[in-house]
Amino acid sequence: MPAPDGGVALVTGGGRGIGKAIAERLAADGFAVVTLGRTSGDVQADVGDAQSVERVFAEVRERFGPVLVLVNNAGERQDGLAIRMKPDQWESVIDTNLNGAFHCIRRALDDMLSARWGRIVNISSVVAERANPGQANYGAAKAGMLSLTRTIAREMARKGITCNAVTPGVIETDMTTGVAEKLLAGVPAGRIGRAEEVAHAVSFLCSDGAAYVNGATLAVDGALAA
Amino acid sequence: MAISENDVLEEIRDQLEAIKVPGAREATPENTWTDLDVDSLDLVELVKALEDRFEITISDDDLKPIESVGDAIGLTMRLVEAEGAPA
Repeated sequence: MPAPDGGVALVTGGGRGIGKAIAERLAADGFAVVTLGRTSGDVQADVGDAQSVERVFAEVRERFGPVLVLVNNAGERQDGLAIRMKPDQWESVIDTNLNGAFHCIRRALDDMLSARWGRIVNISSVVAERANPGQANYGAAKAGMLSLTRTIAREMARKGITCNAVTPGVIETDMTTGVAEKLLAGVPAGRIGRAEEVAHAVSFLCSDGAAYVNGATLAVDGALAA
Repeated sequence: MAISENDVLEEIRDQLEAIKVPGAREATPENTWTDLDVDSLDLVELVKALEDRFEITISDDDLKPIESVGDAIGLTMRLVEAEGAPA
């Protein structure tokens, strides 16, 4: 189901892992997909830097079209107990995960408002709702994304724009290689999730059928946060 | 090409119509945003349309005292004069 008016679906962090699966799934759904990476992808930007985001949105508009679907998936982790966490570890993770989502949403809303149609999906995490020792920065950023999601949903609901969040649990990606088995013990489903399962949830939230789903958080975690 | 107050009024009516404000076509300079049930987000769209159409930049400070269609026309005319009218 392509976006109207020649709009594109921009997936941040779309080069690998969950983001790659989302980009592939949306392309299969018929969207014109553009991936954004720090050094890879169709376009490059540091999403934590507002000016870098301004520049890349102008580039996307020029080269591909208006952004009518935005998937905020770009993220980074710098784990450590809060007592030992350096301020720059905190700030860097908040910048990329939370500020990055805000910067991208702010720019995308211009295009979406003009089209009176838009889909924003924020890839949060199970740790937004079920804290994980060693992830104060990551958990705070991901929880912040949920509040951001609900606020944008309320602000834009009348304009045909939805904003929802997905909270993946333990998903098999490069980031969980080697630790997946250890994490598995706490997952009620008894298995690790697949990136394609997260992508499927995103696909639903971007569909016309989900027009009335707004401000929601969809857990894809094998009941980990239940 | 000189821009008249009527040009701005017509642009405002077009935009109000686009954002589905009831009675948009009959809006007059005397109408306030409250009369027209125009909220802050509607106003953002209206400002964007005026900026694009008349090639001006409307700052948040400019916008603060703007409470009616007439205020918006006056502001737009002032800014067009200051920044130069579009060709």
